[in-house]
Amino acid sequence: MRIRPRFFIGVGLIVLAVGYLIFSAIRTTSEYYLTVSEVASRQSELGGQALRVAGRVKAGTINWDPNTLTLRFEIVPIPDVDAAGGAVKPVVASDPVSLRVVCAGEPKPDMFAPGRDVIVEGKLGPGGAIAATQVMTSCPSKYKPKQSQ
Amino acid sequence: MHQLGNLALAIALILAVYSIVANIYGARRLAPDFVVSARHALWAMCAMVTIAVVVLWVALLRSDFALEYVAAYSSTTLPTVYKIASLWGGQQGSLLFWTWLLSIFTSIAAFQNRRRNPEIAPYALAVLAGVAIFFLLMLNFVTRPFDLLATVPAEGSDLNPLLQNYWMAIHPPSLYTGYVSATVPFAFGAAALLTGRLDDGWIRSTRRWAIFSWFFLTLGNMFGARWAYEVLGWGGYWAWDPVENAAFMPWLVMTAYLHSVMIQERKDMLKVWNLSLIGLAFGLTLFGTFITRSGVISSVHSFTQSGLGPYFLSFLITVTLAYAALLIFRSKQLRSPAEFESYLSREAAFLFNNLMLVGIAFAVFWGTIFPVLSEAVRGVKITVGPPFFNRVNGPLALGLVFLMGIGPLIAWRRTTRDNLVRSFTAPVAIGVATGIVAAAAGLRQWYVLTAFSLAAFVMGTVLVEFRRGMNARRHTVGEPRARALVNLVAKNNRRYGGYIIHVGVIVAFVGIVGSSFFRTEVKKSVRDGESFTIGSYTLRYLGLAEVDTPHLESATARLQVLRPDGREITVMSPAKLFFKRQQQPATKVAIRSTPLSDLYVVLAGIDDSGQIATFDVFLTPLVFWLWAGGLLMVLGTVIVIWPNVRERAAIATALSRASTGTRELADIAAPGGD
Repeated sequence: MRIRPRFFIGVGLIVLAVGYLIFSAIRTTSEYYLTVSEVASRQSELGGQALRVAGRVKAGTINWDPNTLTLRFEIVPIPDVDAAGGAVKPVVASDPVSLRVVCAGEPKPDMFAPGRDVIVEGKLGPGGAIAATQVMTSCPSKYKPKQSQ
Repeated sequence: MHQLGNLALAIALILAVYSIVANIYGARRLAPDFVVSARHALWAMCAMVTIAVVVLWVALLRSDFALEYVAAYSSTTLPTVYKIASLWGGQQGSLLFWTWLLSIFTSIAAFQNRRRNPEIAPYALAVLAGVAIFFLLMLNFVTRPFDLLATVPAEGSDLNPLLQNYWMAIHPPSLYTGYVSATVPFAFGAAALLTGRLDDGWIRSTRRWAIFSWFFLTLGNMFGARWAYEVLGWGGYWAWDPVENAAFMPWLVMTAYLHSVMIQERKDMLKVWNLSLIGLAFGLTLFGTFITRSGVISSVHSFTQSGLGPYFLSFLITVTLAYAALLIFRSKQLRSPAEFESYLSREAAFLFNNLMLVGIAFAVFWGTIFPVLSEAVRGVKITVGPPFFNRVNGPLALGLVFLMGIGPLIAWRRTTRDNLVRSFTAPVAIGVATGIVAAAAGLRQWYVLTAFSLAAFVMGTVLVEFRRGMNARRHTVGEPRARALVNLVAKNNRRYGGYIIHVGVIVAFVGIVGSSFFRTEVKKSVRDGESFTIGSYTLRYLGLAEVDTPHLESATARLQVLRPDGREITVMSPAKLFFKRQQQPATKVAIRSTPLSDLYVVLAGIDDSGQIATFDVFLTPLVFWLWAGGLLMVLGTVIVIWPNVRERAAIATALSRASTGTRELADIAAPGGD
């Protein structure tokens, strides 16, 4: 198939438009996707930046106020399954790194519970807590993680 | 029992290998006996996989927890329908289900081609068998559905509560059917490349398959959106999650393919493009499985992560490289003598529509894999969320809608000024008028105004087409209006069914625009008897009703919906469910749907004392039309795919003449053609 040169103009314009849209949208909408430890170690440079942080809800830190729809909790790093050869490292209550999260104006997600993995979206506030606009719980298709394998 | 399942899968693998060898040997040595034998082997393979599926189903129904899979995805208290649906609830089962569909489609393709396409069919069946081998290898050696547990648990861990609703019974099978049936046109395209028989025979032989695949991809995406809307309780239906994207990309590429093959059939152009598109569509179905199963890309649907990723990636890369090599190898033969003549031609409109669709698919792909790319390049994971996809795809969707209006009305090759004026005056007027009315009604966002105007423009073009066709029949055949309209659609089902699909797309588009731009949300905690407002509705909380069964506990709120004048419209009952087996809460949304807007109520929480209930309420305009558009797309596709007497006659003529140049009668009869 041959395409006359003037058709390359049209084709080129569409390709450029798609490329431009992708480029500009990435610049304006991207968020850092970090783990709890990464946020902790880079706290100073992340202030005001849109973030997504994956962590595990620490037991005993949850405070839910249904009147103001304010959810406060702390997240700790999700233990690395692969590194430990498949054995899941238990979350110790005294885990050194933890990150405070405050989510106001949103209902508490169904799956939200101590020990569950969540993704928190929001910005790092001056006090080192994340002001979250959204807390998402991951929905596993399976409940009991297999210990063998 | 489980040995029977394992044995059946092992035999199926051997039969698939044999079928490849026999097909290729038979086709190369012109030994029809071998081709026949290869066909029989494929049927036997299908029977074996069917046995494996039945074994797993029996195990699920009997709650045979000795099987690891049954223990992991079922339980004794799980309702029967979900026990059946658990077949595709987990990884091993869904791969088995996939393989089963593949073996069924392969068998059907083998049956359809037992006397047709003697040159390419054996190769196409060999390709299908090759894909089946990959999946059977996975099932036999990597992710075995019939593995046993060392100790048999007394109870299974049950299916995820979010999956325990009727969508689970229909959404995954629809999507898988769409995914897997795309393999058939891909296999015929690959066979055309392998044999060098590069005319449009492979497209014609698999046109129904491509539409079939597109149909189920459409259904799968629609069901998925509806599921998210009804079940997940966040008021939306689409979140641009990687898993959704994985289902959306093949749909886009198949849509492009269904359009561009028309150019090849008519003008003998875009051969390389069509072969590339079908390769891409197939690759994306594998890619979808890869990203959902590998854990490479984090998703809200975190599926069981497993060691399956590298295998899928290797297979995907191998297939892509082999296919690309074939395309390059045949590139000389794929040159077409015809060329594009004018921007104002249907070819050009189709070409640009293809670029838009593939552009959207590429943007979706890019956004989906961006975290992985940025981590590899810059060492930091950067994600892009829904705003990225909306920002990129919003404008592209407008371009696409515009072309939907242009394409069907513009002539092939080139269009005269007269033709343009005659065809487009009325639609443009309708579009502009709609824009003015919308602006007068107070709409100000440029995107919404443009979208509604373009939608009306496309509707106008479809109306013009129907009216033209109907009048032509009234004058030539002398039928009354209604009869002429029915016959028009019945006798040119591909063309007018296609228009109905377009109408469906536009209706859905209006629903998407309306629901995206005008949704309002109110979150409120209230006590018994207290009320709050959203839009023009007042909602009054009338208390909770609690129910307890062995499987789940539920708390249902009663929420009275009042009009501004204080009259009751209805009482809505959103609920909170608690699944005992998993100690897991879930939400049951209450929706009051009207063509103008949906009132969507979530019981977001009940405080421990039971005094305060928290509601999350959405008022979503026009979302009704998204589903209505989906239904129209289904209707249109059924019309397109309906066996047409004239088309059959045309195929029979084409076969008897053994010429590839025969045009469809339906297209010749169509007005506005060349």
